[in-house]
Amino acid sequence: MSKSSNAYGAGIMAKNGKAFSDEYFAEENQVFHESNEVVLVLKKSDEINVIVDEYLLGDHADENPTLVVEDRAGYWWLKATGKIEVDCAEVAEILGKNFSVYDFLVDVSSTIGRAYTLGDTFTITSELMGLDTKLKDLQS
Amino acid sequence: MAISTATKAATDALAANRAPVSVNAQEVHRWLQSFTWDFEKNRTKYPTKYKMANDTKEQFKLIAKEYARMESVKDERQFGSLQDVLARVDAAKRVHPKWNETMKLVSNFLEVGEYNAIAATGMLWDSATAPEQKNGYLAQTLDEIRHTNQCGYVNYYFSKNGQDPAGHNDARRTRTIGPLWKGMKRVFSDGFISGDAVECSINLQLVGEACFTNPLIVAVTEWAAANGDEITPTVFLSIETDELRHMANGYQTVVSIANDEAASKYLNTDLNNAFWTQQKYFTPVLGMAFEYGSHFKVEPWVKTWNRWVYEDWGGIWIGRLGKYGVQSPASLRDAKKDAYWAHHDLFLIAYALWPTGFFRLTLPTAEEAEWFEANYPGWHEHYGKIYEEWRARGCEDPNSGFIPLMWFIENNHPIYIDRVSQVPFCPSLCKGASTLRVHELNGKKHSFSDDWGERMWLSEPERYECQNIFEQYEGRELSEVIAELHGVRSDGKTLIAQPHTDKDGKLWTLDDIKKLNCVFADPLKSL
Repeated sequence: MSKSSNAYGAGIMAKNGKAFSDEYFAEENQVFHESNEVVLVLKKSDEINVIVDEYLLGDHADENPTLVVEDRAGYWWLKATGKIEVDCAEVAEILGKNFSVYDFLVDVSSTIGRAYTLGDTFTITSELMGLDTKLKDLQS
Repeated sequence: MAISTATKAATDALAANRAPVSVNAQEVHRWLQSFTWDFEKNRTKYPTKYKMANDTKEQFKLIAKEYARMESVKDERQFGSLQDVLARVDAAKRVHPKWNETMKLVSNFLEVGEYNAIAATGMLWDSATAPEQKNGYLAQTLDEIRHTNQCGYVNYYFSKNGQDPAGHNDARRTRTIGPLWKGMKRVFSDGFISGDAVECSINLQLVGEACFTNPLIVAVTEWAAANGDEITPTVFLSIETDELRHMANGYQTVVSIANDEAASKYLNTDLNNAFWTQQKYFTPVLGMAFEYGSHFKVEPWVKTWNRWVYEDWGGIWIGRLGKYGVQSPASLRDAKKDAYWAHHDLFLIAYALWPTGFFRLTLPTAEEAEWFEANYPGWHEHYGKIYEEWRARGCEDPNSGFIPLMWFIENNHPIYIDRVSQVPFCPSLCKGASTLRVHELNGKKHSFSDDWGERMWLSEPERYECQNIFEQYEGRELSEVIAELHGVRSDGKTLIAQPHTDKDGKLWTLDDIKKLNCVFADPLKSL
């Protein structure tokens, strides 16, 4: 099991019974705490499995070492600090077929964070898009 | 034949400058923005106390062509799987019988939420003035139609291909009997489509979708798979591929009002009310469905809730908005208490009222009781002993003449319905954040279970006038109500609901219930 703080079973989730309930009900945990993480849920499919194996955990693994990917039966659960980005033009080369950002969205099941597309790139970020950072349009 | 001057000019121009064979979708999106879209002065039928900005963006740059292509690919994959490989491997018959019952409830009730979301997003489309924001809401309206069909299809698929179809096949007419229906209508219907348009968006998109669809539509697929169900992951994960755009719509709704003075006055109250409204129902019902409606457990519900609701939605969505004045909901402490205990409280009542359901429930086995105690210390002393007593009295056997509702009456544990959420509670037994309080208005008594609903009622009592089941059926005998509302199987006498899933166990009939002479009574009348 991953020891990353972003892992599915990290922190309080590793505790059970009374140890879990003591931390869960602790006074400091009765309000939300700001988080700089993002979560992405990818529905397993022919293309998504390749993207996870060969793109996110392959050629681009060094770009964000905080990224954790876990197998949750029908979907891949991803969590990272800051952002996760997928360049679908590069994915198209790996897959050997046309693959646009809209093809990618066919199997993106959930996002926690601000997700957006620009050109061929899908991004999910902890930045407050539209508030702290302007959402851009494709430039001519 | 001579060609016209215009045709020749066009032909010559194309020869010099070849037309592109295709255009990048995002270039089309940029081109569409060059039109003069001006909705700022449009009147809406659904006003809001907030002022929505006119320049809000839609984060995925959708155009109709790509949207339609994307959704058709999703449907091809989903229906292809269901009608081909999952039919061939007899997937519906491989589902654990307990989970088969759970999906009667989950998919049918979600269908109602999706149906009401069609209206909610249509309303938001009418309210918004930013062209891109309208575009996002419009796509969501279409998504919700798709989701309504998908949820209906899950029940259809199970009833056609699976085991014990009663309940899957006629939930739309039998779901109204029991106490879970009206609470679902409050959270999935009233919460999404009644009142201020932005408040509805906060209920539907910022809380309902960004927060609770993750356990309801994502995490549920892991429980399904663990219990042999490959149908639900196939459909629900496909539904959720649209939800990320809905979450973005909810976030952009907040972006659109962030600079409005009204936001600083109203937003935290609206967010707290929406969070409490949604959690009050989702927290106990989902926890009950997962833990008591499964044979194989994935993890304690409180951990699922802590991950998706508290840590991720709370930290990543709400926590990050702190610098814009958005605060943790004041009701969070009570919500956390509910996430630990309220689903156990609810199952106690749901099992006691099992004849009013459209699905079968089962008591925890000895192995499950151990799991509950290990994960919720104190569970056995409070709940486990009661189940042992019910089982010893033969509650699963129609010859016993005993349904657990009788135990509540014998031991003076009255069950009330919270007027605002319509969720049943038993003040003398519950360990969640519920305590009884009663108000009287115009000669009618109303019971409440918590501060937050009580406050909502005190500020808008006319909004919460729905009869609860004790008022609706008062004075009527239980089997008569079940028969009238079609809670029986095709033989006309055997109940759809049963207190076990044992295929060799005896099934209860209307006659068995009639012998008990259970008559609905409104507990508020005796106060």
